[in-house]
Amino acid sequence: MNKLFAVLKREYLQAVRKKAFIIMTLIFPVLMFAAMVLPALLIGKGMGQKRIAVLDGTGALRSAYSKPNAPPTPEEAKKDARDALQGKRNMPRNLSQLDIDYVDMSGQDVKTAAKSYIDRLRHNDRNAQLDGVYVIPGDAIDNEKSELSYYSRSATDLISQDRLGRMTNKEMQRLRLSRNGIDANTIDRLTRDVPTSGIQVSKSGEQTKGGEQNFFLAFILAALVVLPSFIYGNDIMRGIVQEKSDRIVEVLVSSLKPFQLLSGKILGTASVGLTQITVWLSMMGIVGGFFGAVASSAGMNVSQFLRPMVYVYFYLFFVLAFLTYVCVYAIGGAICNSEKEAQQFIAPITLVMMVPWFLMFPIIMNPDSKLAVAFSMSPVWGPMTMFVRSVVSEPPLWQLAVSIAVTIATILFFFWVTGKIFRVGILSYGKRPTIPQLWRWMKVA
Amino acid sequence: MADILAVRDVRKTFGDVRAVDGVSFTVRKGTITGLLGRNGAGKTTTIRMITGIFLPDSGSIEWLGDEDGVAFRDRIGYLPEERGLYKQMKVWEHLVFLAEIKGKARREMKKRVDFWLERFELTDKRESKVEELSKGNQQKVQLIGTLLHDPDLIILDEPQSGLDPVNQKVVRNLLIDLRQQGKTILLSTHMMGEAEKMADEIVLIHRGQVVLQGGLDDVRTSFGKNTLHLAFEGDGEFLSALPQVKHAAIVNNSAEISLADGADPQEILAASMPRLRIQRFELAVPSLESIFIEKVGDVAATEVHQ
Repeated sequence: MNKLFAVLKREYLQAVRKKAFIIMTLIFPVLMFAAMVLPALLIGKGMGQKRIAVLDGTGALRSAYSKPNAPPTPEEAKKDARDALQGKRNMPRNLSQLDIDYVDMSGQDVKTAAKSYIDRLRHNDRNAQLDGVYVIPGDAIDNEKSELSYYSRSATDLISQDRLGRMTNKEMQRLRLSRNGIDANTIDRLTRDVPTSGIQVSKSGEQTKGGEQNFFLAFILAALVVLPSFIYGNDIMRGIVQEKSDRIVEVLVSSLKPFQLLSGKILGTASVGLTQITVWLSMMGIVGGFFGAVASSAGMNVSQFLRPMVYVYFYLFFVLAFLTYVCVYAIGGAICNSEKEAQQFIAPITLVMMVPWFLMFPIIMNPDSKLAVAFSMSPVWGPMTMFVRSVVSEPPLWQLAVSIAVTIATILFFFWVTGKIFRVGILSYGKRPTIPQLWRWMKVA
Repeated sequence: MADILAVRDVRKTFGDVRAVDGVSFTVRKGTITGLLGRNGAGKTTTIRMITGIFLPDSGSIEWLGDEDGVAFRDRIGYLPEERGLYKQMKVWEHLVFLAEIKGKARREMKKRVDFWLERFELTDKRESKVEELSKGNQQKVQLIGTLLHDPDLIILDEPQSGLDPVNQKVVRNLLIDLRQQGKTILLSTHMMGEAEKMADEIVLIHRGQVVLQGGLDDVRTSFGKNTLHLAFEGDGEFLSALPQVKHAAIVNNSAEISLADGADPQEILAASMPRLRIQRFELAVPSLESIFIEKVGDVAATEVHQ
């Protein structure tokens, strides 16, 4: 036991003292945060001003486009932020600025007239910037089969299209209603939007959903749970390959049982990972606490992200995921003779182990779907999936129990197999073994 | 003196290769035992079974020394042929680690580290990283790592290979010193000259089997005074063709001649007189090297055949 601890301590101290560890520990959360926040900022800012020509064949819709670019008042901005945090609204109001050129084309053939605008759009003349052409046919208000068209250079400019569509349709509805003799005030009253807020129902009570913040948070947490396993798995693999190439391994194996060496290494590296995520979680707790204080003063509920159970699950599933993945990497290290070879060996296996990560989006969106439930109770994929499910939903206790039991069984099995392969593989300097050879090693050891 | 370790009919096969094929010998406490043989004879595999790195396919390895609760492999200090250390670790930390995985307490070891570093003139390298040391110094560090936990049995696999003559002598004196302190040493080597200077007992392994073992002096006298040392002027090449000569090692103006069974050395003298000016003519016990060659065959010759 003391020997195992000696190995553990060596692994831990060597790793923690490295500059790379300190930098990684401090920088990673910043990077993660940036990776999550930057795209959102870019969506808002990056679109910038869009100059759009609205060719109105009806000539009646000018008022719909009168104020699209007025910056939100401070009141509105505050409300937007609150709405966004409460999940009532998907995108901030002033996401991109539409600079609209309204052209009254009543009585003209809009389709023919549009051609010159579309040509201008196609040639993308710098001096006469044009990013979109919105065409409203003359019969748009009354003809049921009429269609509005939005021309743009990019195939993906869906947000502008959606906004223009909503602005236009709202105005057309007003027009239709008023033509039926309903006065403007009544129309406003009748067509007002009622916001929807999302409420998560769980056994521990009902809570207001966090909207996409909750989604991002689940994503970040999932990344924090699994990424260290892969990073440190790689470290362990490199370490073992190095011990072989530096010929230390013979002294180690003559002093330690392979099991002691293996467990010492894995637990030592796991402690490094735990140290790191503890730092990360504390950082997140501090930032979250600050954010939470600000948010609750604005009447919001963020306790949902920061409930204590999330931390408990985090540590639990971190350790489970870590031990599962790292064993696989240790085998890679034991049977390969160079880092390059080991990387090639492990790359396809890593891809398979990462499957839930690629399915993270549907899993977060539908944490109780058959797919998510099946993944969360399967070996290898269980810890990552079950963790995410427990963050965004409340899976039944029996599923949690099954998931944990399956994972523990997997880890014990992996440890056993790894120990056997390790014992033989760690001293074999020659060619990488084939699968039948690996099988023989397992039986021999 | 009592035996400390017994190797009993140990076998180990790798694929089709019988690396060790029924090796038995014992190691007496307080002696230096030389495990001799050519490269690939099975020395290292035998040692790896003793140190617990390989399990033998059959046979057993028994510890016969004191039982005081310390596992027998923790009483062994092992210097493998392929040396290696963690390059990133500080010298003293590395040494303490090596003792810790032999079950020693950290606190106890720190003083001993300083003692050994001083003995090997490495005190100023205490805080250096291993990778900053010269290769020779790294070897010294590894040797300290072998001895630090105060083992009863010290197993050294080719400890002098790669060392210059001065350092070979340093190692030799250290081993003789350790024997004086009552330590037992199992020394694997293909350097017969070095083994001859230190070993009390020898175990000669060839193709996975023990072909000769016993006390060095006994082994040598059992071969009788069948070795002739000649010093001469002239061309001695014809000596190896004489019928009385089993084998002749002729270097410059001297020859070590193994006599054929029943050969009369006087006849060799008579045959040499007309062709050489004899300066020395001495009948002696054979050197370990000629015993080795007699039992195992000429290294150079057989290797050419292979």
